[in-house]
Amino acid sequence: MSVAEEGLLERNKDTMTLNMGPQHPSTHGVFRVVLEMDGEMVRSSDPDIGYLHTGIEKTGETKLYAHCIPMTDRLDYLNPPGNNLAFCLSVEKLLQTEIPARADYLRVIMCELTRVASHLLWLGTHALDIGAMTVFLYCWRERELILDLNEMISGVRMMTSYVRVGGVMKDATPEWIAGVKHVVDILPEKVDEYESLLTRNPIWMDRTIGAGVMTKEEAIQWSMSGPCLRASGVNFDFRKQRPYSRYQDFKFDVPVLTNGDVYDRYRVRVAEIRQSREIIKQAIENLPEGPYKVEDNKISLPDRDKLKTSMEALIHHFKLVSEGVKVPEGETYVPTEGPRGEVGFYIVSDGSGIPYRMKLRAPSFMAIPGMCAMMRGSYIADVVAIIGSVDIVMGEVDR
Amino acid sequence: MNSEEIIEKLKSAKGDKLKDTEVTLGDAIVHLEPGSLHEVAEFLKSDPDLHFDYLSCISGVDYLDLEREPRFECVYELHSMDKNHSIRLRVGVPEEEPSVPTVKDLWPAAIYPEREIYDMFGLTIEGHDEQKRLLMPEEWEGHPLRRDYDLTREKVAFSHNLDFKEELVKEKVPTRYKPNQV
Repeated sequence: MSVAEEGLLERNKDTMTLNMGPQHPSTHGVFRVVLEMDGEMVRSSDPDIGYLHTGIEKTGETKLYAHCIPMTDRLDYLNPPGNNLAFCLSVEKLLQTEIPARADYLRVIMCELTRVASHLLWLGTHALDIGAMTVFLYCWRERELILDLNEMISGVRMMTSYVRVGGVMKDATPEWIAGVKHVVDILPEKVDEYESLLTRNPIWMDRTIGAGVMTKEEAIQWSMSGPCLRASGVNFDFRKQRPYSRYQDFKFDVPVLTNGDVYDRYRVRVAEIRQSREIIKQAIENLPEGPYKVEDNKISLPDRDKLKTSMEALIHHFKLVSEGVKVPEGETYVPTEGPRGEVGFYIVSDGSGIPYRMKLRAPSFMAIPGMCAMMRGSYIADVVAIIGSVDIVMGEVDR
Repeated sequence: MNSEEIIEKLKSAKGDKLKDTEVTLGDAIVHLEPGSLHEVAEFLKSDPDLHFDYLSCISGVDYLDLEREPRFECVYELHSMDKNHSIRLRVGVPEEEPSVPTVKDLWPAAIYPEREIYDMFGLTIEGHDEQKRLLMPEEWEGHPLRRDYDLTREKVAFSHNLDFKEELVKEKVPTRYKPNQV
Protein backbone atom coordinates (compact mmCIF):
# COMPACT_ATOMS: atom_id res chain seq x y z
CA MET A 1 0.00 0.00 0.00
CA SER A 2 1.38 3.36 -0.91
CA VAL A 3 1.91 6.13 1.57
CA ALA A 4 -0.86 8.19 0.00
CA GLU A 5 -3.41 5.39 0.30
CA GLU A 6 -2.68 5.00 3.99
CA GLY A 7 -3.80 8.55 4.48
CA LEU A 8 -0.44 9.83 5.60
CA LEU A 9 -0.29 12.27 2.72
CA GLU A 10 -3.26 14.45 2.08
CA ARG A 11 -3.36 16.46 -1.11
CA ASN A 12 -5.20 19.70 -0.76
CA LYS A 13 -5.05 22.32 -3.50
CA ASP A 14 -1.43 23.37 -3.77
CA THR A 15 -0.09 22.29 -0.41
CA MET A 16 0.37 18.84 0.96
CA THR A 17 0.24 17.83 4.61
CA LEU A 18 3.02 15.49 5.59
CA ASN A 19 3.23 13.75 8.93
CA MET A 20 6.68 13.17 10.36
CA GLY A 21 7.15 11.12 13.49
CA PRO A 22 6.62 10.29 16.29
CA GLN A 23 8.60 7.19 15.32
CA HIS A 24 10.86 8.88 12.81
CA PRO A 25 14.53 8.03 13.43
CA SER A 26 15.80 11.55 12.83
CA THR A 27 13.61 13.08 15.52
CA HIS A 28 15.72 11.37 18.20
CA GLY A 29 12.81 10.37 20.34
CA VAL A 30 9.09 10.70 20.09
CA PHE A 31 8.68 14.07 18.44
CA ARG A 32 5.92 14.50 15.88
CA VAL A 33 5.70 17.38 13.47
CA VAL A 34 3.05 17.97 10.82
CA LEU A 35 4.55 19.77 7.84
CA GLU A 36 2.57 21.73 5.32
CA MET A 37 4.49 21.30 2.10
CA ASP A 38 4.43 23.46 -0.98
CA GLY A 39 6.26 21.22 -3.41
CA GLU A 40 9.55 20.58 -1.66
CA MET A 41 9.31 23.71 0.47
CA VAL A 42 8.03 23.68 4.04
CA ARG A 43 5.32 26.30 4.33
CA SER A 44 4.52 25.75 7.99
CA SER A 45 5.11 23.16 10.65
CA ASP A 46 2.97 22.16 13.58
CA PRO A 47 4.83 20.29 16.31
CA ASP A 48 3.09 17.80 18.56
CA ILE A 49 4.79 16.87 21.81
CA GLY A 50 3.81 15.09 24.99
CA TYR A 51 4.35 11.46 23.98
CA LEU A 52 6.98 11.05 26.68
CA HIS A 53 5.19 12.99 29.39
CA THR A 54 5.85 11.20 32.68
CA GLY A 55 4.82 13.90 35.16
CA ILE A 56 8.19 14.15 36.85
CA GLU A 57 7.36 17.64 38.15
CA LYS A 58 4.22 16.29 39.80
CA THR A 59 6.04 13.26 41.20
CA GLY A 60 8.69 15.58 42.61
CA GLU A 61 6.07 17.19 44.83
CA THR A 62 5.73 13.93 46.76
CA LYS A 63 9.39 12.93 47.08
CA LEU A 64 12.25 13.97 49.36
CA TYR A 65 14.92 16.18 47.82
CA ALA A 66 17.33 13.25 47.74
CA HIS A 67 14.74 11.17 45.87
CA CYS A 68 14.29 13.89 43.28
CA ILE A 69 17.90 13.63 42.15
CA PRO A 70 17.57 10.26 40.33
CA MET A 71 14.45 11.67 38.64
CA THR A 72 16.40 14.66 37.32
CA ASP A 73 18.77 12.19 35.62
CA ARG A 74 15.90 11.00 33.50
CA LEU A 75 14.88 14.42 32.26
CA ASP A 76 17.74 15.16 29.92
CA TYR A 77 19.09 11.64 29.80
CA LEU A 78 22.24 12.71 27.95
CA ASN A 79 23.24 15.14 30.68
CA PRO A 80 22.51 13.52 34.07
CA PRO A 81 25.23 15.26 36.17
CA GLY A 82 24.27 18.62 34.67
CA ASN A 83 20.66 18.18 35.71
CA ASN A 84 21.67 16.96 39.16
CA LEU A 85 23.90 20.00 39.47
CA ALA A 86 21.17 22.43 38.43
CA PHE A 87 18.81 20.89 40.99
CA CYS A 88 21.42 20.81 43.77
CA LEU A 89 22.54 24.39 43.11
CA SER A 90 18.98 25.63 43.60
CA VAL A 91 18.58 23.63 46.80
CA GLU A 92 21.99 24.75 48.06
CA LYS A 93 21.13 28.36 47.33
CA LEU A 94 18.11 28.03 49.60
CA LEU A 95 20.23 26.24 52.21
CA GLN A 96 22.98 28.86 51.73
CA THR A 97 25.75 26.29 52.09
CA GLU A 98 29.31 26.65 50.94
CA ILE A 99 30.45 23.65 48.90
CA PRO A 100 34.05 22.40 49.40
CA ALA A 101 36.47 23.05 46.52
CA ARG A 102 37.09 19.38 45.79
CA ALA A 103 33.37 18.72 45.40
CA ASP A 104 33.04 21.64 43.01
CA TYR A 105 35.97 20.43 40.91
CA LEU A 106 34.57 16.89 40.77
CA ARG A 107 31.21 18.31 39.73
CA VAL A 108 32.86 20.35 36.99
CA ILE A 109 34.83 17.35 35.71
CA MET A 110 31.71 15.17 35.61
CA CYS A 111 29.63 17.86 33.91
CA GLU A 112 32.27 18.52 31.28
CA LEU A 113 32.85 14.82 30.61
CA THR A 114 29.11 14.49 30.12
CA ARG A 115 29.08 17.52 27.84
CA VAL A 116 31.72 15.80 25.70
CA ALA A 117 29.75 12.54 25.72
CA SER A 118 26.54 14.36 24.85
CA HIS A 119 28.16 16.26 21.99
CA LEU A 120 29.73 13.03 20.72
CA LEU A 121 26.37 11.32 20.69
CA TRP A 122 24.88 14.34 18.96
CA LEU A 123 27.67 14.47 16.38
CA GLY A 124 27.37 10.76 15.61
CA THR A 125 23.61 10.70 15.19
CA HIS A 126 23.45 14.04 13.40
CA ALA A 127 26.06 12.90 10.88
CA LEU A 128 24.17 9.61 10.53
CA ASP A 129 20.96 11.51 9.75
CA ILE A 130 22.69 13.40 6.97
CA GLY A 131 24.36 10.24 5.67
CA ALA A 132 27.86 10.09 7.15
CA MET A 133 27.95 6.66 8.73
CA THR A 134 31.59 6.41 9.81
CA VAL A 135 31.52 9.37 12.20
CA PHE A 136 28.84 7.61 14.21
CA LEU A 137 31.11 4.63 14.89
CA TYR A 138 34.07 6.83 15.80
CA CYS A 139 32.01 8.94 18.20
CA TRP A 140 30.63 5.88 19.93
CA ARG A 141 34.16 4.60 20.48
CA GLU A 142 35.17 7.65 22.55
CA ARG A 143 31.82 7.98 24.26
CA GLU A 144 32.31 4.45 25.57
CA LEU A 145 35.45 5.56 27.42
CA ILE A 146 33.48 8.29 29.19
CA LEU A 147 30.65 5.92 30.11
CA ASP A 148 33.25 3.56 31.58
CA LEU A 149 34.54 6.45 33.70
CA ASN A 150 30.97 7.13 34.87
CA GLU A 151 30.65 3.52 35.90
CA MET A 152 33.98 3.62 37.70
CA ILE A 153 33.03 6.60 39.88
CA SER A 154 29.31 6.11 40.42
CA GLY A 155 28.55 2.49 39.55
CA VAL A 156 26.20 3.46 36.72
CA ARG A 157 27.04 4.17 33.11
CA MET A 158 24.43 6.78 32.27
CA MET A 159 22.04 7.73 35.09
CA THR A 160 24.84 8.54 37.50
CA SER A 161 23.02 10.60 40.19
CA TYR A 162 26.55 11.63 41.10
CA VAL A 163 25.95 15.18 42.25
CA ARG A 164 24.19 15.30 45.61
CA VAL A 165 22.92 18.10 47.80
CA GLY A 166 26.00 19.31 49.68
CA GLY A 167 28.65 17.73 47.49
CA VAL A 168 29.08 14.62 45.43
CA MET A 169 28.26 10.97 46.03
CA LYS A 170 31.75 9.49 46.22
CA ASP A 171 35.35 10.60 46.18
CA ALA A 172 37.52 10.15 43.10
CA THR A 173 39.78 7.11 43.04
CA PRO A 174 43.33 7.13 41.58
CA GLU A 175 42.18 4.77 38.80
CA TRP A 176 39.41 7.15 37.83
CA ILE A 177 41.79 10.10 37.80
CA ALA A 178 44.14 8.12 35.55
CA GLY A 179 41.22 7.28 33.28
CA VAL A 180 40.18 10.95 33.01
CA LYS A 181 43.79 11.90 32.18
CA HIS A 182 43.78 9.26 29.46
CA VAL A 183 40.60 10.73 27.92
CA VAL A 184 42.13 14.21 28.14
CA ASP A 185 45.25 12.98 26.35
CA ILE A 186 43.56 11.23 23.45
CA LEU A 187 40.62 13.59 22.89
CA PRO A 188 42.30 16.28 20.70
CA GLU A 189 43.50 13.86 18.04
CA LYS A 190 40.14 12.08 18.02
CA VAL A 191 38.32 15.37 17.49
CA ASP A 192 40.76 16.10 14.65
CA GLU A 193 39.73 12.76 13.21
CA TYR A 194 36.01 13.66 13.24
CA GLU A 195 36.77 17.03 11.77
CA SER A 196 38.85 15.49 8.98
CA LEU A 197 35.76 13.50 8.04
CA LEU A 198 33.31 16.41 8.11
CA THR A 199 34.57 19.97 8.37
CA ARG A 200 35.96 20.27 4.83
CA ASN A 201 33.85 17.48 3.37
CA PRO A 202 32.09 18.99 0.30
CA ILE A 203 28.95 16.85 0.74
CA TRP A 204 28.68 17.80 4.40
CA MET A 205 29.22 21.48 3.58
CA ASP A 206 26.62 21.40 0.80
CA ARG A 207 24.07 19.84 3.10
CA THR A 208 24.66 22.10 6.09
CA ILE A 209 25.87 25.55 5.00
CA GLY A 210 22.93 27.93 4.66
CA ALA A 211 20.43 25.40 6.03
CA GLY A 212 18.18 26.44 8.91
CA VAL A 213 19.58 29.94 9.27
CA MET A 214 18.66 31.83 12.42
CA THR A 215 19.77 35.40 12.93
CA LYS A 216 21.00 36.83 16.21
CA GLU A 217 17.71 38.67 16.88
CA GLU A 218 15.62 35.61 16.07
CA ALA A 219 17.74 33.39 18.29
CA ILE A 220 17.19 35.73 21.24
CA GLN A 221 13.47 36.27 20.69
CA TRP A 222 12.83 32.52 20.34
CA SER A 223 14.80 31.90 23.58
CA MET A 224 17.28 29.56 21.96
CA SER A 225 20.13 28.70 24.27
CA GLY A 226 23.47 26.97 24.35
CA PRO A 227 25.24 26.14 21.07
CA CYS A 228 22.25 27.28 18.96
CA LEU A 229 22.45 30.75 20.49
CA ARG A 230 26.22 30.99 20.17
CA ALA A 231 26.19 29.79 16.56
CA SER A 232 23.96 32.80 15.81
CA GLY A 233 26.50 35.25 17.16
CA VAL A 234 25.34 35.79 20.76
CA ASN A 235 28.23 35.50 23.16
CA PHE A 236 26.41 34.15 26.17
CA ASP A 237 27.46 31.24 28.31
CA PHE A 238 26.46 30.92 31.95
CA ARG A 239 29.79 29.31 32.78
CA LYS A 240 31.49 32.59 31.79
CA GLN A 241 28.76 35.14 32.41
CA ARG A 242 27.64 33.92 35.83
CA PRO A 243 30.13 31.34 37.03
CA TYR A 244 28.83 28.63 39.36
CA SER A 245 30.76 25.72 40.89
CA ARG A 246 34.07 27.60 40.55
CA TYR A 247 34.03 27.82 36.76
CA GLN A 248 35.85 31.13 37.24
CA ASP A 249 38.98 29.12 38.18
CA PHE A 250 39.38 27.73 34.68
CA LYS A 251 40.66 29.34 31.52
CA PHE A 252 38.53 28.51 28.51
CA ASP A 253 37.04 30.21 25.49
CA VAL A 254 33.40 30.39 24.50
CA PRO A 255 33.17 29.54 20.80
CA VAL A 256 30.90 31.99 18.97
CA LEU A 257 30.09 31.95 15.25
CA THR A 258 27.83 34.26 13.33
CA ASN A 259 26.10 32.51 10.42
CA GLY A 260 23.55 30.67 12.55
CA ASP A 261 23.18 27.75 10.14
CA VAL A 262 23.49 24.00 10.66
CA TYR A 263 27.18 24.09 9.75
CA ASP A 264 27.97 26.73 12.39
CA ARG A 265 26.07 24.84 15.06
CA TYR A 266 28.20 21.84 14.17
CA ARG A 267 31.40 23.85 14.42
CA VAL A 268 30.41 25.45 17.73
CA ARG A 269 29.76 22.04 19.26
CA VAL A 270 33.04 20.60 18.01
CA ALA A 271 34.88 23.62 19.40
CA GLU A 272 33.03 23.12 22.69
CA ILE A 273 34.34 19.57 22.92
CA ARG A 274 37.87 20.98 22.69
CA GLN A 275 37.12 23.66 25.31
CA SER A 276 35.55 21.10 27.67
CA ARG A 277 38.72 19.09 27.35
CA GLU A 278 40.70 22.17 28.43
CA ILE A 279 38.49 22.56 31.51
CA ILE A 280 38.77 18.87 32.44
CA LYS A 281 42.55 19.04 32.02
CA GLN A 282 42.89 22.04 34.35
CA ALA A 283 40.45 20.59 36.88
CA ILE A 284 42.03 17.15 37.07
CA GLU A 285 45.56 18.58 37.35
CA ASN A 286 44.61 21.05 40.08
CA LEU A 287 42.13 18.81 41.90
CA PRO A 288 42.21 20.21 45.46
CA GLU A 289 42.55 17.99 48.51
CA GLY A 290 39.86 18.02 51.15
CA PRO A 291 36.35 16.79 51.77
CA TYR A 292 34.10 15.92 48.81
CA LYS A 293 30.90 16.94 50.61
CA VAL A 294 29.96 19.41 53.33
CA GLU A 295 30.77 18.42 56.89
CA ASP A 296 27.30 19.38 58.12
CA ASN A 297 25.51 16.07 58.62
CA LYS A 298 22.13 17.78 58.53
CA ILE A 299 22.73 18.23 54.80
CA SER A 300 24.95 15.37 53.66
CA LEU A 301 25.09 11.78 54.86
CA PRO A 302 27.79 10.90 57.40
CA ASP A 303 30.59 8.56 56.32
CA ARG A 304 29.68 4.92 56.34
CA ASP A 305 32.40 3.78 58.79
CA LYS A 306 31.41 6.45 61.32
CA LEU A 307 28.00 4.80 61.68
CA LYS A 308 29.60 1.90 63.55
CA THR A 309 31.27 4.03 66.20
CA SER A 310 29.36 7.29 66.55
CA MET A 311 25.83 7.48 67.94
CA GLU A 312 25.46 11.01 66.58
CA ALA A 313 26.34 9.92 63.06
CA LEU A 314 23.77 7.14 63.31
CA ILE A 315 21.06 9.59 64.37
CA HIS A 316 21.99 12.01 61.59
CA HIS A 317 21.93 9.18 59.07
CA PHE A 318 18.51 8.02 60.24
CA LYS A 319 17.02 11.52 60.26
CA LEU A 320 18.45 12.40 56.87
CA VAL A 321 17.25 9.21 55.21
CA SER A 322 13.78 9.25 56.75
CA GLU A 323 13.00 12.98 56.80
CA GLY A 324 15.44 14.41 54.30
CA VAL A 325 17.28 17.69 54.36
CA LYS A 326 15.12 20.52 55.71
CA VAL A 327 15.27 23.33 53.18
CA PRO A 328 14.31 26.80 54.47
CA GLU A 329 11.15 28.40 53.14
CA GLY A 330 11.62 30.33 49.92
CA GLU A 331 11.88 30.08 46.18
CA THR A 332 14.83 30.31 43.85
CA TYR A 333 16.18 29.65 40.40
CA VAL A 334 19.82 29.09 39.40
CA PRO A 335 20.64 28.96 35.69
CA THR A 336 23.43 26.64 34.56
CA GLU A 337 24.88 25.81 31.17
CA GLY A 338 24.10 22.31 29.99
CA PRO A 339 25.14 20.76 26.66
CA ARG A 340 21.86 21.95 25.10
CA GLY A 341 21.70 25.31 26.82
CA GLU A 342 20.29 26.91 29.93
CA VAL A 343 19.19 24.33 32.50
CA GLY A 344 17.74 25.46 35.78
CA PHE A 345 15.30 24.42 38.44
CA TYR A 346 12.74 26.79 39.87
CA ILE A 347 12.20 25.39 43.35
CA VAL A 348 9.62 26.50 45.89
CA SER A 349 10.23 25.19 49.39
CA ASP A 350 7.73 25.23 52.25
CA GLY A 351 10.38 24.41 54.85
CA SER A 352 9.92 20.64 54.78
CA GLY A 353 12.04 17.88 53.27
CA ILE A 354 9.87 17.71 50.15
CA PRO A 355 9.94 20.38 47.42
CA TYR A 356 6.62 22.22 47.22
CA ARG A 357 7.19 22.76 43.52
CA MET A 358 10.06 21.92 41.23
CA LYS A 359 10.02 23.19 37.69
CA LEU A 360 12.65 22.47 35.09
CA ARG A 361 13.67 25.10 32.61
CA ALA A 362 14.43 22.77 29.73
CA PRO A 363 16.47 24.15 26.81
CA SER A 364 14.99 21.65 24.33
CA PHE A 365 11.44 22.54 25.35
CA MET A 366 12.04 26.25 24.80
CA ALA A 367 13.85 25.58 21.49
CA ILE A 368 10.98 23.78 19.73
CA PRO A 369 9.02 26.88 18.55
CA GLY A 370 12.30 28.38 17.33
CA MET A 371 13.19 25.18 15.56
CA CYS A 372 9.86 25.26 13.74
CA ALA A 373 10.53 28.86 12.76
CA MET A 374 13.81 27.67 11.22
CA MET A 375 11.99 25.02 9.19
CA ARG A 376 9.68 27.57 7.58
CA GLY A 377 10.81 28.09 3.99
CA SER A 378 13.42 25.36 4.04
CA TYR A 379 13.49 22.23 1.91
CA ILE A 380 12.09 18.96 3.19
CA ALA A 381 15.53 17.36 3.08
CA ASP A 382 16.85 20.09 5.39
CA VAL A 383 14.20 19.42 8.03
CA VAL A 384 16.14 16.36 9.17
CA ALA A 385 19.35 18.40 9.34
CA ILE A 386 17.63 21.19 11.28
CA ILE A 387 16.06 18.88 13.88
CA GLY A 388 19.42 17.19 14.29
CA SER A 389 21.33 20.44 14.63
CA VAL A 390 19.12 21.84 17.41
CA ASP A 391 19.75 18.64 19.37
CA ILE A 392 16.47 18.17 21.23
CA VAL A 393 16.06 15.53 23.90
CA MET A 394 12.45 14.49 24.31
CA GLY A 395 12.95 13.44 27.92
CA GLU A 396 13.24 17.06 28.99
CA VAL A 397 10.74 18.40 26.45
CA ASP A 398 7.89 16.29 27.79
CA ARG A 399 9.16 15.81 31.35
CA MET B 1 23.30 46.38 36.87
CA ASN B 2 22.95 44.56 40.14
CA SER B 3 19.61 43.52 41.58
CA GLU B 4 19.17 46.61 43.79
CA GLU B 5 19.77 48.98 40.87
CA ILE B 6 17.30 47.10 38.67
CA ILE B 7 14.62 47.36 41.37
CA GLU B 8 15.43 51.07 41.92
CA LYS B 9 15.17 51.82 38.22
CA LEU B 10 11.91 49.91 37.85
CA LYS B 11 10.41 51.57 40.94
CA SER B 12 11.20 55.06 39.69
CA ALA B 13 9.50 54.42 36.35
CA LYS B 14 6.59 52.10 37.15
CA GLY B 15 6.35 52.33 40.94
CA ASP B 16 2.56 52.59 40.99
CA LYS B 17 2.14 49.39 38.97
CA LEU B 18 4.16 47.16 41.30
CA LYS B 19 2.59 45.33 44.20
CA ASP B 20 5.85 44.67 45.98
CA THR B 21 9.57 44.32 45.31
CA GLU B 22 12.30 42.40 47.09
CA VAL B 23 15.89 41.27 46.70
CA THR B 24 16.17 37.78 48.12
CA LEU B 25 19.35 35.68 47.93
CA GLY B 26 20.66 38.15 45.38
CA ASP B 27 17.73 37.81 42.97
CA ALA B 28 15.66 40.83 41.95
CA ILE B 29 12.00 39.87 42.44
CA VAL B 30 8.92 41.90 41.54
CA HIS B 31 5.36 41.05 42.60
CA LEU B 32 2.65 42.10 40.17
CA GLU B 33 -1.07 42.00 39.50
CA PRO B 34 -2.06 40.27 36.26
CA GLY B 35 -3.50 43.58 35.00
CA SER B 36 -0.16 45.40 35.11
CA LEU B 37 2.00 42.53 33.83
CA HIS B 38 2.02 43.51 30.19
CA GLU B 39 2.84 47.16 30.79
CA VAL B 40 5.71 46.37 33.17
CA ALA B 41 7.02 43.63 30.86
CA GLU B 42 6.98 46.00 27.92
CA PHE B 43 8.94 48.58 29.90
CA LEU B 44 11.48 45.96 31.03
CA LYS B 45 12.05 44.91 27.45
CA SER B 46 12.19 48.33 25.80
CA ASP B 47 14.16 50.33 28.38
CA PRO B 48 17.76 50.62 27.08
CA ASP B 49 19.35 50.26 30.54
CA LEU B 50 17.34 47.20 31.52
CA HIS B 51 16.80 45.58 28.11
CA PHE B 52 15.37 42.23 29.20
CA ASP B 53 15.27 40.73 25.72
CA TYR B 54 15.32 37.07 26.72
CA LEU B 55 12.50 35.09 28.32
CA SER B 56 14.05 32.20 30.17
CA CYS B 57 11.02 30.38 31.52
CA ILE B 58 7.52 30.70 32.90
CA SER B 59 6.66 28.56 35.91
CA GLY B 60 3.27 28.07 37.45
CA VAL B 61 2.78 27.46 41.15
CA ASP B 62 -0.38 26.47 42.99
CA TYR B 63 -0.25 27.70 46.60
CA LEU B 64 -3.40 25.86 47.71
CA ASP B 65 -1.69 23.79 50.42
CA LEU B 66 0.11 26.80 51.84
CA GLU B 67 -3.22 28.67 51.94
CA ARG B 68 -1.71 31.70 50.34
CA GLU B 69 -3.73 34.40 48.60
CA PRO B 70 -3.94 34.62 45.63
CA ARG B 71 -3.91 30.91 44.97
CA PHE B 72 -1.91 30.73 41.74
CA GLU B 73 1.29 32.35 40.71
CA CYS B 74 2.98 32.68 37.31
CA VAL B 75 6.71 33.27 37.60
CA TYR B 76 8.53 34.86 34.68
CA GLU B 77 12.31 34.55 34.58
CA LEU B 78 13.90 37.19 32.35
CA HIS B 79 17.51 37.70 31.27
CA SER B 80 19.28 40.41 29.37
CA MET B 81 21.77 39.01 26.87
CA ASP B 82 23.98 42.10 26.54
CA LYS B 83 23.64 43.52 30.07
CA ASN B 84 23.92 40.10 31.76
CA HIS B 85 21.37 40.59 34.51
CA SER B 86 18.11 38.90 35.45
CA ILE B 87 14.79 39.63 37.07
CA ARG B 88 11.92 37.50 38.28
CA LEU B 89 8.32 38.60 37.91
CA ARG B 90 5.86 36.89 40.26
CA VAL B 91 2.31 37.42 39.12
CA GLY B 92 -0.35 36.38 41.63
CA VAL B 93 -3.47 35.01 39.95
CA PRO B 94 -6.67 34.69 42.03
CA GLU B 95 -8.73 31.51 41.80
CA GLU B 96 -11.92 33.46 41.03
CA GLU B 97 -10.44 35.03 37.92
CA PRO B 98 -7.77 32.61 36.69
CA SER B 99 -6.29 34.48 33.77
CA VAL B 100 -3.05 36.24 32.86
CA PRO B 101 -2.31 38.35 29.78
CA THR B 102 -0.01 36.86 27.19
CA VAL B 103 3.53 38.16 26.69
CA LYS B 104 3.82 36.37 23.35
CA ASP B 105 3.96 39.67 21.46
CA LEU B 106 7.06 40.72 23.45
CA TRP B 107 8.85 37.36 23.57
CA PRO B 108 7.53 34.96 20.90
CA ALA B 109 9.11 32.07 22.81
CA ALA B 110 6.36 32.47 25.45
CA ILE B 111 4.01 30.52 23.20
CA TYR B 112 4.97 27.12 24.65
CA PRO B 113 5.35 27.88 28.35
CA GLU B 114 2.02 29.73 28.28
CA ARG B 115 0.30 26.76 26.72
CA GLU B 116 1.91 24.61 29.38
CA ILE B 117 0.52 26.90 32.10
CA TYR B 118 -2.95 26.48 30.61
CA ASP B 119 -2.50 22.73 30.32
CA MET B 120 -1.10 22.11 33.80
CA PHE B 121 -2.89 24.77 35.88
CA GLY B 122 -5.93 25.71 33.85
CA LEU B 123 -5.13 29.41 33.82
CA THR B 124 -6.55 31.25 30.82
CA ILE B 125 -3.97 33.13 28.78
CA GLU B 126 -5.63 36.28 27.46
CA GLY B 127 -4.71 37.05 23.90
CA HIS B 128 -3.13 33.65 23.20
CA ASP B 129 -4.68 32.48 19.93
CA GLU B 130 -3.66 28.85 20.30
CA GLN B 131 -4.94 27.98 23.71
CA LYS B 132 -4.97 24.20 23.84
CA ARG B 133 -3.26 21.38 25.67
CA LEU B 134 0.43 20.88 25.12
CA LEU B 135 1.70 17.88 27.03
CA MET B 136 -1.51 16.12 28.03
CA PRO B 137 -3.86 14.56 25.45
CA GLU B 138 -6.41 17.00 24.09
CA GLU B 139 -9.42 15.27 25.67
CA TRP B 140 -7.86 15.06 29.12
CA GLU B 141 -9.93 16.28 32.04
CA GLY B 142 -8.46 18.37 34.83
CA HIS B 143 -5.18 20.16 35.22
CA PRO B 144 -2.53 17.84 36.67
CA LEU B 145 -0.23 20.27 38.47
CA ARG B 146 -3.02 21.75 40.58
CA ARG B 147 -2.58 20.64 44.16
CA ASP B 148 -6.15 19.33 44.40
CA TYR B 149 -5.80 17.15 41.30
CA ASP B 150 -6.67 13.57 42.18
CA LEU B 151 -3.54 11.50 41.69
CA THR B 152 -4.96 8.05 42.22
CA ARG B 153 -8.22 7.92 40.29
CA GLU B 154 -7.96 9.24 36.81
CA LYS B 155 -10.18 8.59 33.86
CA VAL B 156 -8.88 6.10 31.31
CA ALA B 157 -7.94 8.09 28.27
CA PHE B 158 -6.53 5.41 26.01
CA SER B 159 -8.44 2.28 25.25
CA HIS B 160 -8.48 -0.38 22.61
CA ASN B 161 -12.19 -0.55 23.09
CA LEU B 162 -13.80 0.26 19.77
CA ASP B 163 -16.89 1.96 21.25
CA PHE B 164 -14.68 4.43 23.01
CA LYS B 165 -12.83 5.26 19.81
CA GLU B 166 -16.06 5.62 17.87
CA GLU B 167 -17.26 8.09 20.45
CA LEU B 168 -14.18 10.17 19.82
CA VAL B 169 -14.77 10.12 16.09
CA LYS B 170 -18.34 11.23 16.63
CA GLU B 171 -17.17 14.23 18.60
CA LYS B 172 -14.45 14.83 16.01
CA VAL B 173 -11.92 15.51 18.70
CA PRO B 174 -8.37 14.57 17.71
CA THR B 175 -7.76 13.02 14.32
CA ARG B 176 -4.89 10.91 15.53
CA TYR B 177 -7.22 8.51 17.38
CA LYS B 178 -9.22 7.77 14.25
CA PRO B 179 -9.87 4.01 14.24
CA ASN B 180 -8.82 1.89 11.31
CA GLN B 181 -11.61 0.59 9.13
CA VAL B 182 -12.48 -2.85 10.45
